[in-house]
Amino acid sequence: MAIEDYRGDVEMCCRCSACKHIPLQKIKGVEHSEACPSIAKYNFHAYSGSGRLLIAKEMLTNGFKYTDKLLDIVYNCQMCGACDISCKYAMDMEVLEPIYEFRIKAVEEGHTNPALDKAITSLRKQGTMVPGAKAKRGEWAKGLGIKDFLRQKTKVAYHVGCLTSFDKDMWPVARATAKLLNKAGVDFGIGGEVESCCGGRAYQMGYQNDFIRQAQNNMALFKQCSIETLVTSCANGYHAFKVLYDKFGLKGNLEVLHITEYLARLIKEGKLKLNKKVNMTVTYHDPCYLGRLGEPWIHWEGKRIPGYKFVFDPPKEYRRGTHGVYEPPREVLTSIPGLKLSEMDRIKEYAWCCGAGGGVNESNPEFAMWTAKERIEEAESTGAEAIATACPWCEKNFNEAIKESGSGLKVYDIVELVEKAI
Amino acid sequence: MAISKDVYKEFEDVVGAENISDDPVIKAAYRSPDLTVVLPGNTEEVAAVIKLCNKHKIPYKAQSTGWSFMPPTYDFIFLDLRRMNRIIEINEKNMYAVVEPYVISAELQGELFKRGMICNVKGAGSTCTALAMSGHGHMGLTTSTGDRNDLATEWVTDEGEIIRLGTLGASDEWFCGDGPGPSLRGILRGGGVITKQATKVYHWPGPSEYPLEGVSPRYTLGKKPSDLNMMVRYFSFPSIEKLVEAELKIGESEIAFELMGFCPSMVSSNITTSNEEDFATLDKFTKEVQGPGFMVIIAGNFDEDFAYKKKALAQIIKETDGKSLKTVEDPAVESTLLFQCTRVCASIRETFRAGGMFSSMMVQGQRYDNHVKWLEEGAVLKRELIKKGLVIADDGQQFGWGEEQGHLGHTEIFCRFNPYDEKSSKAVQEWLGKLGKRALDGCFAVPAMGVLPVDEIGKRVSNYHVWFGKLKKAFDPNEVGENTGYSYVGADISGVHTSIYKKEPEKASPKQ
Ligand SMILES: Cc1cc2nc3c(=O)[nH]c(=O)nc-3n(C[C@H](O)[C@H](O)[C@H](O)COP(=O)(O)OP(=O)(O)OC[C@H]3O[C@@H](n4cnc5c(N)ncnc54)[C@H](O)[C@@H]3O)c2cc1C
Ligand code: SF4
Ligand code: SF4
Repeated sequence: MAIEDYRGDVEMCCRCSACKHIPLQKIKGVEHSEACPSIAKYNFHAYSGSGRLLIAKEMLTNGFKYTDKLLDIVYNCQMCGACDISCKYAMDMEVLEPIYEFRIKAVEEGHTNPALDKAITSLRKQGTMVPGAKAKRGEWAKGLGIKDFLRQKTKVAYHVGCLTSFDKDMWPVARATAKLLNKAGVDFGIGGEVESCCGGRAYQMGYQNDFIRQAQNNMALFKQCSIETLVTSCANGYHAFKVLYDKFGLKGNLEVLHITEYLARLIKEGKLKLNKKVNMTVTYHDPCYLGRLGEPWIHWEGKRIPGYKFVFDPPKEYRRGTHGVYEPPREVLTSIPGLKLSEMDRIKEYAWCCGAGGGVNESNPEFAMWTAKERIEEAESTGAEAIATACPWCEKNFNEAIKESGSGLKVYDIVELVEKAI
Repeated sequence: MAISKDVYKEFEDVVGAENISDDPVIKAAYRSPDLTVVLPGNTEEVAAVIKLCNKHKIPYKAQSTGWSFMPPTYDFIFLDLRRMNRIIEINEKNMYAVVEPYVISAELQGELFKRGMICNVKGAGSTCTALAMSGHGHMGLTTSTGDRNDLATEWVTDEGEIIRLGTLGASDEWFCGDGPGPSLRGILRGGGVITKQATKVYHWPGPSEYPLEGVSPRYTLGKKPSDLNMMVRYFSFPSIEKLVEAELKIGESEIAFELMGFCPSMVSSNITTSNEEDFATLDKFTKEVQGPGFMVIIAGNFDEDFAYKKKALAQIIKETDGKSLKTVEDPAVESTLLFQCTRVCASIRETFRAGGMFSSMMVQGQRYDNHVKWLEEGAVLKRELIKKGLVIADDGQQFGWGEEQGHLGHTEIFCRFNPYDEKSSKAVQEWLGKLGKRALDGCFAVPAMGVLPVDEIGKRVSNYHVWFGKLKKAFDPNEVGENTGYSYVGADISGVHTSIYKKEPEKASPKQ
């Protein structure tokens, strides 16, 4: 698909501004009613989901003219999808897909962002875009005796992900994950040095071809090693393997599970027993790419039925965020003895983004931080002492925001809390 | 007319560099090639911007949320009031709330629910401004209408003078729009910028927050509406006369919280989550209803009150031969309608989802007698368009609701269509024109603006446009207030709606 294929959708935008807000019946007041970090920060309509569609409409009609301002708008978007979900509460139209396609077109036509270019150069050179990737991929696993799925046969692969692999501060999450899987008797392996970037963040940045290359290489490796199930603790990775690989027809029969889904399953099956008390009030942040954007891809091909209605043959089923991964992380948290879950105002399909997505972390760290601080303030308002999440990118951004704002909130990956309970 | 660099700098000095732009791409998102957008943060900045407009004789226009689709029409300074989004006060004792223009109704409603109160929400739905101004909404039966809810107001005139109207003119109190202090409520329509306004709020018998469950787009109420002492029903009647009789009786007995004269297509849009589901549901409803109908929400303050109201309603429905739509009696459907109609306040699903556009003819202020008859004529004409496949094949009916227990009301009919289909757009414009003319010729109503030229309407209605013109001149000697929408906020916008969908006019390409 290309932006041109979404002309009908962009023309449907009725300028109602629902995309700027969380679903209207969920709004409790002026606080925490906004859904889109970009319009909330930059205020001009152009930065909202609707504004992006109106710009696309104008450019589809009068030609694409890339100005600095246009690129500022294009790249200051976390691709978090909140606009898409709020819009589709009432409308039958795509919002996030044309936003993606606009960015992909900009990249393909050479209108890139220098910071993102740098990240992609790193991806092309070393299979990861995490800066300062000095340590080797599998170094976090040293001494743990974890299987290497390239050499030792196993059906379950634990994909650790770039940030967790290369950022030493994240290693405890990977180690805890391995410990829990072992404890539950799961026969799993890691790619170690051959693990490579899922490509998801490259796609978010608009580098579709780099994403496809990564996806093809990864799938070839999984096939070669007869991997049937892939488990990851990174929400970006989850979205890439589960949704994007499927979108591009590359996923095959690979079962993709986020670690929270796997843990929820293992707890239910009695394979993992949580019996130590963790006396803590925790709030949970739904990562965009696990929550609303984690819902399966829906394959559809059809044509608009000519006439006055916006309907298709065959009927189009929209991804509206209904089937994202919302319950497994909550099930895991609430099965931890002593732990109290205190929810924020914006949760599940209308959760506020952590700020790190869509390359904003790299292209505009100040905006990423601003977005994270908003979330930290919301988390604090629940009275929780800690914010739990299920993605290393969220965790990293929150930790930095807390450091900058001087908040006393603690940040945990769910896996770390589970580890405390066994 | 692009403004010069020096003039731009003067505006920039008022709002700050990050709050002004004339970049073509920013303008594209405001759907106009010729404007400079400013984002004032407070009343003083609004006043300073307008003073500069006067100094340089540059026209200006403001928007609150921009949902009205009143597009900028020529070069000007465009004040997007988005940064003015504070609730200044909620006065529970005197039952009013003071808001800035970018507080949306859903936000104010959320705050009010917690306090057992509710406000009128304009028919556009709860994404539009919570300023009272003009605007009629589906809860008008008990929450009245915008133009009767506005209390004290802070207003920046077209000359940039800050005027405090009503009680605010004599004290710091917001409780009255008419004084002690200057009252300009009667002419506060279209000129200047309202920067703060108090709006009346009303008693809300429902919960402080709906116990919603599920995930978008299929939220459900965790409880049956009856557990909250609430009930939603849709009744159809054998004739318009019977429907009107039932509406009036319900108003007289003051038993309903909301009476929304939805036609079946509006009910089906609101309870469904896609176009396909909508059309299938409408087919089912069409077979179930016996004629025109309305939706009614009963809300009890306590068990006995709820029981009494239900009993009285049943009696009225019996007397008027009403028939309940079985689908709506299902608690799941009932609860969807409940939060759709009190929190989301309908609108988007029922207007834009099907074809991308709607255009309507309405009368604000009245519902019964003449108006229903007039718009029933509109329904007959609309059905011809449906037959020709030019507009969405819904039931073709008029709709509306009583306000202030039926002393006032609102009557409307709309066509939904594809605005990019020239034939459809043209047919809808003609339909509106015919209806407008019929309104005047038949002495039924004053058609809303945008349908017929203002002077054609004006000369039939005491030359009101001439008076408006004189007022405008007095308040806006430099003619800087953009006056293409020179009537009032919430005026019918149908004509303007369709005009922006015409094939791109030549001048629409941004100036580089
Ligand atoms: C789908 C739909 C359904 C609707 N149904 C109804 C209905 O049932 N009943 C009804 O009454 N109306 C209805 N309307 C019109 C609706 O009332 C207006 O759209 C609404 O009041 C606009 O609020 P807004 O904040 O979006 O105003 P905007 O779109 O921002 O502005 C509307 C007009 O008011 C002016 N304006 C905005 N803010 C200010 C201010 N602070 N000071 C001075 N002037 C200002 C603008 O210049 C513009 O001309 C409907 C509109 C839509 C789109
Ligand atoms: S993108 Fe959707 S929600 Fe946003 S203004 Fe357009 S139609 Fe409304
Ligand atoms: S994807 Fe997120 S940041 Fe981008 S426009 Fe939509 S809501 Fe805003």
